[in-house]
Amino acid sequence: MATAIADSVVDELVAICGEEHVFTGRSALFNRARVPAPFPAHRWDAHIPQAVVLPVSAQQVSEVVKLANARGIPVVPRAGGTGLTDGAVPLRGGILVDVKLMNQIKEIDLDNRTVTVGPGINMLKLSEELRRYGFIYPDNPASYPCSLVGGRIGTSGWSLIGGRFGHARDLVISFEIVLPTGEIIRVGDGGGPKVRKSSSGFQLKHLFMGHQGTLGIVTEATLELVKHPEAEFSMFYAFDNYMDAWRTCGELARSSVATLAGVVLFDEWKVAYLRRDDEAYIPQDDSAKAVVAAAAYGFEDELRAGAKRLLRIGQASGGKYMGDEISQGDWWSRHDRYATPQHGRTRDGQVALMSWHCEDAAIPYPELPKVREKWHAIAAGLRERFEMFDDWGMFAYTNGAFKPWGDYLTEIDIGIWESKWDEESWEAWVDAKRELARVSIEHGGSITACHGSCREGEVDLVPLEMGGGFEVMKKLKRVLDPNNIMNPGKYLLDQAYEEE
Amino acid sequence: MAETTTSGEATNGRSSTLPEEFLEQWRDVAYNCFSSGHKFCREVCPVTQVTRDERFTPTAFHANVIAMEKGHLSIEDVAEDYVNCTMCGACELRCPNTLFTGDFYRFRQRTIDVVKAMRAFAVEQGIHQKNWQRWAELTDRWGNEPVLGWTRETSGSKVRAWAAGLDIPTGGETVLFADCEAAFKRPSVPRSVALLLRACGVEFGLMDQQWCCGGPMWETGYVDIAHKMAEHNMIDWRKTHTKRIICPDPHDYITIIEHYPPLDENFDEFEIVLAVDLIAEAIREGRLELGTPVQRTVTYHDPCRLNKRLGVWQSPREILRAIPGLTFIDVDHVTQWSYCSGAGSNLWVEKPELTAEISRRRIAKAQELPGVDGLVSACPWSERPLTEQGEAVGMDVFDIFEITAEAAGFEV
Amino acid sequence: MLGFRLSAQTPPEATRVNDVVLTRLEHIYEIDPSLMTEHVRQQQIPNWDMRRIVDSRWEHLHWMQDHFAERALSGEELLAEIEKEA
Repeated sequence: MATAIADSVVDELVAICGEEHVFTGRSALFNRARVPAPFPAHRWDAHIPQAVVLPVSAQQVSEVVKLANARGIPVVPRAGGTGLTDGAVPLRGGILVDVKLMNQIKEIDLDNRTVTVGPGINMLKLSEELRRYGFIYPDNPASYPCSLVGGRIGTSGWSLIGGRFGHARDLVISFEIVLPTGEIIRVGDGGGPKVRKSSSGFQLKHLFMGHQGTLGIVTEATLELVKHPEAEFSMFYAFDNYMDAWRTCGELARSSVATLAGVVLFDEWKVAYLRRDDEAYIPQDDSAKAVVAAAAYGFEDELRAGAKRLLRIGQASGGKYMGDEISQGDWWSRHDRYATPQHGRTRDGQVALMSWHCEDAAIPYPELPKVREKWHAIAAGLRERFEMFDDWGMFAYTNGAFKPWGDYLTEIDIGIWESKWDEESWEAWVDAKRELARVSIEHGGSITACHGSCREGEVDLVPLEMGGGFEVMKKLKRVLDPNNIMNPGKYLLDQAYEEE
Repeated sequence: MAETTTSGEATNGRSSTLPEEFLEQWRDVAYNCFSSGHKFCREVCPVTQVTRDERFTPTAFHANVIAMEKGHLSIEDVAEDYVNCTMCGACELRCPNTLFTGDFYRFRQRTIDVVKAMRAFAVEQGIHQKNWQRWAELTDRWGNEPVLGWTRETSGSKVRAWAAGLDIPTGGETVLFADCEAAFKRPSVPRSVALLLRACGVEFGLMDQQWCCGGPMWETGYVDIAHKMAEHNMIDWRKTHTKRIICPDPHDYITIIEHYPPLDENFDEFEIVLAVDLIAEAIREGRLELGTPVQRTVTYHDPCRLNKRLGVWQSPREILRAIPGLTFIDVDHVTQWSYCSGAGSNLWVEKPELTAEISRRRIAKAQELPGVDGLVSACPWSERPLTEQGEAVGMDVFDIFEITAEAAGFEV
Repeated sequence: MLGFRLSAQTPPEATRVNDVVLTRLEHIYEIDPSLMTEHVRQQQIPNWDMRRIVDSRWEHLHWMQDHFAERALSGEELLAEIEKEA
């Protein structure tokens, strides 16, 4: 439990950021403690910062970080606070640096096709502005309406349409970052902020992509401008068994249709879960057990040709096209179908409000059926012991940027009746997280495709997954953050400071 | 030193934790939000767009209920945070818990109700916002809101002054509820409505003593005064056997349909109608001719209570498209879920700079549209800050009834 | 009817669709209320508000389509073309 921050520190923060942007009041602290991932509200006060600042410039961020170093106070960067791995959750109090006021569009460069923004801007709001020029910023996670560019870099986010337009790391060209010791540097592919591909020096952009705020604070980013698509195509196919759906998913992903943006596989548990309210839209035939969806974007002429190739695969697959209303409506609602608390059900079918945990992993295509079996068994084990856990099924999404035929962002969604948390259920949950992560590694995958892996439970397996890479992580952390003030306690990186 | 709550538990020195009745009513919606973590509300929230402060987000408004239940926060910690809301309704509409499953479960997010309840709880605990308290006291004393300032009385006897020379009778089967802000501050609005209704052949009267609908009292936590206003108005209607009440201002309409029925078991006697729907219907059916061209290039501001809260966005556009000579550049009503004037729930009375900034941004959005130098709204409350911000940059702000009356050949 | 009438806000009688779903208002499906009695209770939602939610959902979905692309292609149309080509 964090103690109150020293008045002298608060005074210094005020001198840097101005009185109106420094907060120590309880509501300011308690409302910046969590992210959407399941949160131990019974231990809320263990996760609050000691002070909050809302800086407006890289200079202010740099000075705050230097102050933190001088006084040995932790710093926790926070963009949207919409991540799913506790990256923005304070573990040791400290100064929370909330970048939301840094949400300006600084420059739109039509010649270089870039837009430069502050880290506090949301992608949907950015795209609304870009539309006036005929552009969009298509970094499209489920959190598209609420996550912020700074967090997308912090987590190296994944996009539902990454197969066509790339993911955060492909759409972010370069960014300015304040290092844990306060220096402000620019990283990208090489030197010029608008260079997309370079071989000059180390490729530092990739080091900081996905650092979960442990290596610095992003203060500006230069992004790709993508032409607003002329046309969109989405199709949903229903199958009476999972394996046919899995095979069709693979075929579509390997189709090499250039306009293809992504393919999604819904397993039987997921279809059953969506049925909990799908009846609200169009009642589905009982024979629909698993579903495959695909989406594509482009000019109308190329898209018609590409869509027909995809449809021919669908028609030959044994699956049934689910009609335009579902194929379009369900695709357009792709951001909104995940975390519906009312979809929670107790064992006797009563509605209970549940929060949503999404375990995401990167799994090679051939391993998907086996991983599905093992993960559902883990979820069933939890449900058997505690009614508060509910299996909301699995999705698998094409994971590769521009090349959708590789591995899959594989997720199991578990509903958790959070008001029932106690120490026993929390421990069981953390164990389950470890088991889920272990399965991913055993099947040649990664613990996480895009959320990050610094939550309790899964983080224990990061050294196993990284192998020798974990030693490199520790060395880099020690060098860049000698005083361990930048989001300390994440990713087991305290180990970097232990004497041999 | 620990104090005890109504439930007898120690609260570490924090007084005024939430009573069980409050939690019974609001715990479920609070958990519905807290458990979801969607936060799609934030970027459509006009206050969050300006302040970027998580204390004033719809998310925080719900999380605080949970935090207060667990003894981490008290009403003293959060009362002022709850001031920062226009009750525009964008959050609770955009929230997937409403938009995607609210109808299926008959259970939706109700951020506005949570904010109202928390503001009322604060007032009950003796925590007042200075200007809102004064505003409530004067409304109680005068019968109408102090829309002309703290010292210019806005009594029930003066509320019909805008109708001078129009010979409108008192009461009758249909009554025009002119609204405090419109009646006193922007009388061209009720005058325009009155002339248009006459032109459509609608017979109507005015209340004997129209009092404030009570809306801002419910919104700022002064529930007893709100009840007093509502009861008075219903007695006034019944005095002349009024059956239909026409509301030009969507604030009145939504207050009456949401808050009056629980106070009166015979409320079904009354039919409440939006003037904007009535006028649109009259145009559609050929009962209102708009023969005078209005040569302007304008855009339309969807007032929050009309668009987000009531789902009424077609009637005003129908009206504008029927005005000859008018070049109407539209911005769709879903994009406008994230627009606001900042005037709602009397935010401007406590935080004028915040309302001013929200309005400034709304005007700036209108300026981006090619050739537009006029913004039409359909809510007198929004027109106050929008007009002020518009003046600074040469953007004229009209009420829809003003511009329609002009098109009907009236000089208001 | 143009205006608001309180008596017009009560939902009509329910018709069962399956063992967990019923319908009252046209084209609007609802959960069997008996599944919301123990842990979370339903709210009173007037008919005008139910319609607002449903209408708003479709309006939002069309907005989301337009946000990402100027138009959406129809799978049914394309399938008809594929059939003709066969």
